[in-house]
Amino acid sequence: MLRQRLVDALGPDAVKTTPEDLAVYAFDAYTDGRLPSAVVLPSSAREVSAAVKIARDLDEPIVPRGAGTGLCGGAVPVEGGVVISFTRMNRILELDERNRRARVQSGVVNLDLSKHTARSGLFYAPDPSSQKISTIGGNIATNAGGPHCLSYGTTVNHVLALEVVDERGEIFVTSIDDAGYDLTAVLVGSEGTLGIVTSAWVRLLSLPESVRVWVVAFGEIEAASEAVSAIVGAGIVPTALEMMDSVITQAVEAAFGAGYPTDAAAVLLIENAGFEDDMDACEAAIRDIATRHGALSWRSARTAAERDALWAGRKGAAGATGRIAPNYYTQDVCVPRSKLPQALRAIEGAASEHHITVGNVFHAGDGNLHPLLMYDKRDLDQVAAVVETGNIILQSAIDLGGTISGEHGIGFEKRGAMTRVYSTADLATMARVRDVFDPRRALNPEKIFPSGSRCPEVSPP
Amino acid sequence: MLARCDADGNKVLVVGGDTLAGMGLPPERVDLILNTTALDKLLEYVPTDLTLSAQSGMAVQAITTLLAQHGQFVPFDAPRPQYATLGGTLAAGWLGPRRHLYGRVRDYVLGSTIVLADGSVARAGGIVVKNVAGYDMSRLYVGSFGTLGVLASVNLKTLAAPRQARVFLARLPEGTRARACDHVAARLAIRPAAAFWIEGFPNAVDGADGIDGRMLILLEGSDALLERATRDLRSTLGRAGVPETRVVDAGAREAFQRVVDAYVASLGERSVTYRFGSQPDDAERRAIAVRELATRHELRCETIVDVMNGDVVMRVSALDSRALGSVIETFDDALHDSEPRAQVIASAHPHRSSLRVWGEPPATIERMRELKRRFDPNNTLNAGRFVGGI
Repeated sequence: MLRQRLVDALGPDAVKTTPEDLAVYAFDAYTDGRLPSAVVLPSSAREVSAAVKIARDLDEPIVPRGAGTGLCGGAVPVEGGVVISFTRMNRILELDERNRRARVQSGVVNLDLSKHTARSGLFYAPDPSSQKISTIGGNIATNAGGPHCLSYGTTVNHVLALEVVDERGEIFVTSIDDAGYDLTAVLVGSEGTLGIVTSAWVRLLSLPESVRVWVVAFGEIEAASEAVSAIVGAGIVPTALEMMDSVITQAVEAAFGAGYPTDAAAVLLIENAGFEDDMDACEAAIRDIATRHGALSWRSARTAAERDALWAGRKGAAGATGRIAPNYYTQDVCVPRSKLPQALRAIEGAASEHHITVGNVFHAGDGNLHPLLMYDKRDLDQVAAVVETGNIILQSAIDLGGTISGEHGIGFEKRGAMTRVYSTADLATMARVRDVFDPRRALNPEKIFPSGSRCPEVSPP
Repeated sequence: MLARCDADGNKVLVVGGDTLAGMGLPPERVDLILNTTALDKLLEYVPTDLTLSAQSGMAVQAITTLLAQHGQFVPFDAPRPQYATLGGTLAAGWLGPRRHLYGRVRDYVLGSTIVLADGSVARAGGIVVKNVAGYDMSRLYVGSFGTLGVLASVNLKTLAAPRQARVFLARLPEGTRARACDHVAARLAIRPAAAFWIEGFPNAVDGADGIDGRMLILLEGSDALLERATRDLRSTLGRAGVPETRVVDAGAREAFQRVVDAYVASLGERSVTYRFGSQPDDAERRAIAVRELATRHELRCETIVDVMNGDVVMRVSALDSRALGSVIETFDDALHDSEPRAQVIASAHPHRSSLRVWGEPPATIERMRELKRRFDPNNTLNAGRFVGGI
């Protein structure tokens, strides 16, 4: 019934229902998965709309999906239903160079957009590590970040307008220039629970005229994190300020030979992009602070190839840990920058207490940590230890005034933790928004909010 | 107090510094005025974290001054900042002219505390610069004009302030306007922090009009950058046929602020100021079209075009209030035929409420009404002031 109606509306090529096909869409980059009832691959907003109407008629939930790189189960069909995959909606529809914006379908791959706009001297700034595969639609759903959002801001700062299919299958458009409430901003980061984004106008920036990348080695993680706090605290905001510890750099060098020193306890990867006139002064200022905090070495990447290799190593870091352990689990906590040293100590403490190898690779300039906890999922004791370690790290971050997710999203995985940072009243305001856009909870159910949470019918006394 | 009003069916008007009182419609009914200016405390400022938390009644100027002491800023760019409150500026969704470079003020809001109509208090976001835990409710409250709740406090991220600022004035000879606007908007490698084409506003804004008006340009950055930017600006304007560009030596920031203040400066009851957005490459053309429309309605028209963002601000006026009143509604209709989104941002004229002060409501207005119903079911807060009768 479901299959037939979807095929009638979208054609047989766009509908998948065999078990082998469904299995592909049961998972994203989270640990668990579940088979959906069907998968559709629409080519237009109109087809998305048709699929939504059919799903609604047959009471099937809807799970939008970009490239499935999400780490928290945001694209996992936890209640089955119809997965709407945007793989085929990958066209760049308009490039408005003069006004620095582009209109793209949700399935456009993040890096592909910047490659395309580079010919016009423009780029799309949000650069999550998954950008070679992840899609603009997925980035919008999670309000994706990445190393360069330190200076350029996260996805929401670069979204100008959205075309959305709602839970009834109607298509509507929002723009940040609309009078009234900023629906565009509330849709960004809503993880597919308020509407299905089919295309977007996004902001583009001019490619910088000058780029410098430096690698700075430290003998202690603590010293490196203090240097980071000092740099940002001095009002210097480089375009990116990343940290990796020796567990990570050793894995990265073994995998890629990217050019990182492997004997340093911690390494900072710093990029500054901008005008040539400011480069020397900026470099001198950062170098001065790093030196005062005990930097062991300072190296400038001399060519574009060197820079690219360093970045490839950084962005491939998580994958490189495959040579240490078959599985990893990461948190995505974000703490105030001045609390970085304490946060790192808490991570180290929790990991060593539970005998878990941890590798830190993260957006130090933002205070956004990604401790990678290595384990083998076949060893149930290790699994338990990792879960407990992860829990301690999460709570430590909250205790330091931080948040439970800086950029990966809540998805399915972190729903339970929402009550650790938000009160009932806080969550109720979000439920009110959900009640307007998805009263039946048909859009990506069981994501973001603790299970069973709804706007309370009875007002508080 | 809010809970009691809500339960009793009373209507509450939320007021901050009253600097943007020219926006929106007058409230349907006012039983109680909630003035936020006493909620003016700084809650926490950690310069090394680049974060600041303050109560919503704190004056924008007070925040700006404090941040400047630590070489930081937030680009509010609000008119009359000594009176404008943090909460009010955010609630009104004020858009400043430096946003193409530094972002909108809403991009600086990390978290907020809001009091809902029923008296309950809710928090959104936090104090960290990256946060995707749940919906970004703070951004929904920004620009909501006090109709979803009353902002009690706001957490902001700050930015390192540019070292230097320089303002340039250029009188535009005949026939140079379009090219000058285009060149400044699109051909400068070091983009100005702000750039305006201005016609009129003789006492409010620096400089005198040439035949085609004048341009006021703000450059910000390090000393080294400013030297190059100055050379580029002069030669670029020269190529557009503008021979002379002079620097406003002292008080670049004050000169810039005078332009921002002019956005909402009204001529008593004899003027109405409209604002509409455009793409940067189209703004000048659309501004001229509206100016011609104003002339056809026998209205004087003064214009500020923010060429970097494409905003057009037009103050139309007549000799007196009666003369304005006799044509303004007809003009308003005609204006909205070509610029449906034009909003009124300043006016003391008694007929203001008969104008389309918010422009045409967006297609999503019904969803917005539903949001309002869920947050404020008794329509207690700022009833009738906002878009589409919200």
